[in-house]
Amino acid sequence: MAEIYKLIHPLKYFNDYISREIRPDGRKFHECRNIKLNVNSLKTAEASAVVKCGNTTVVCGIQLELASPKAEEPDFGYLVTNLELPALCSSKYRPGPPSDHAQVTNYLVSNIIVNSKCIDLKDLCIVPDKLAWVLYCDMVCLDNDGSLVDACIIALISSLKTLRLPTVTYDAETEDINVDPDIRTPLKVYGLPVATSFSVYKLPERDILITDPSIYEEEMCGGIGSNFIVCSNQSLLCGTQKFGGSNLPPESQEEALKISRDRANVVEKVIETCLANNCEINEI
Amino acid sequence: MGIEEEKPKAFQLKPMKCEFNFLSKSDGSAILSQGDTVAVVSVNGPLDIKSTSQSIEKSTLEVLYCTKGGKPSVADRYKENVIRQTCEAAVLGSLYPRTGITVTIQELEDFGGLLSCCLNCTCLALLNSGVSMRCTYAAITCAIDESGDIVLEPSKQHLDTARATMTFVFDSREKNLVTSVTEGVFSEDTYKEALARCHAASDLVFNFYREIIRKYANVI
Repeated sequence: MAEIYKLIHPLKYFNDYISREIRPDGRKFHECRNIKLNVNSLKTAEASAVVKCGNTTVVCGIQLELASPKAEEPDFGYLVTNLELPALCSSKYRPGPPSDHAQVTNYLVSNIIVNSKCIDLKDLCIVPDKLAWVLYCDMVCLDNDGSLVDACIIALISSLKTLRLPTVTYDAETEDINVDPDIRTPLKVYGLPVATSFSVYKLPERDILITDPSIYEEEMCGGIGSNFIVCSNQSLLCGTQKFGGSNLPPESQEEALKISRDRANVVEKVIETCLANNCEINEI
Repeated sequence: MGIEEEKPKAFQLKPMKCEFNFLSKSDGSAILSQGDTVAVVSVNGPLDIKSTSQSIEKSTLEVLYCTKGGKPSVADRYKENVIRQTCEAAVLGSLYPRTGITVTIQELEDFGGLLSCCLNCTCLALLNSGVSMRCTYAAITCAIDESGDIVLEPSKQHLDTARATMTFVFDSREKNLVTSVTEGVFSEDTYKEALARCHAASDLVFNFYREIIRKYANVI
């Protein structure tokens, strides 16, 4: 019955839930979905992570490559992110070249990583002007059920945290490169950027802030990609993005900043626990 | 052509100059200079588009952003997306179902604050084209410099040394935040202060819109 009601009166269906202080999937307004995280799941990648936030699933794998640094930045390495939104993750996407949405989301994710300064590209340089690491971080979304950026950041950061770079010796005279994959050093990650998405739903009398929206809620709240995304690294903000959609009143903004702080702690705990478990397994 | 904005005591925005109907063949066009930063926007529509991109509920907005260099990049896609989503919030698209509105933006000069200049110019061009709008919007850029001070409408030199830059867009009805794009790291307090200052400064942009419209309404 409810399914038919949803089809015939989509707006009223959603309103009925919201006016009773609950969301269609049974969550409260500020309840986040469960996060499931697994690291080093792909054996062919140097580092990897699979994350599930509710139904939203993102897989991230990191591949390593050696290259010579850019002439204008001789002591910097490279970090290249790529996000794939295949047709399988949602009926919204068509097969073919990367959609605009994929490009924009990827740009957002790589911006957050750069702005948060959690990776110092100088750490990726082996010999200035000669040799540096290239980190290819490929993310694939298997199921897009909203708050995509949040999931991408968790997947990317957890894989970066597990990444161990092989030792490289470079002979300046013969230009010989010798990679020793047995001796590895972990990559330094400064802080832990966390992104939290919010949607604003406009009831006639007040605005409702919804934390960690699903794709259905995103659509009801002004379209996909119009989330208010707050990114924080430790206690500093490293980006607040919002593109159109329902406008955001100042009170909701205060609320969002507060919630994002709490959520950052939760996500931090999830990642730490997962990494600790992973270490234990490796030791056994 | 254009009006020099009065310089207020508390805030100082770069002088804005605008001309409507700059291009003769488009449905609406505007050229806007904010200080030395200049952009031209042309709006065409509502017009027919191919059926795959039609929406039965509302008109489809297409934004094309052309840089001075002419080479498209992912960063331009991102800008297009920011501008498109912002315009979609302002345009009453449900009045023109199954049609398309094309917005073309050409960068002419970039001396800092290009994104906000493009956004404001787009809003003016949409007003000029006569497309029905829910509200207008105003974009303001600010930068946080090394010492943590907030600089409104920063110059190119400011941007090069800035710790963070933020662009905020407010709507004209409730003066709420529509779009926010930030770069760099900043504390929560700085963010709130920057937002409040930009919010106050957005009034100046709305006043400017009003003056421009008043001036052109006389001509019509």
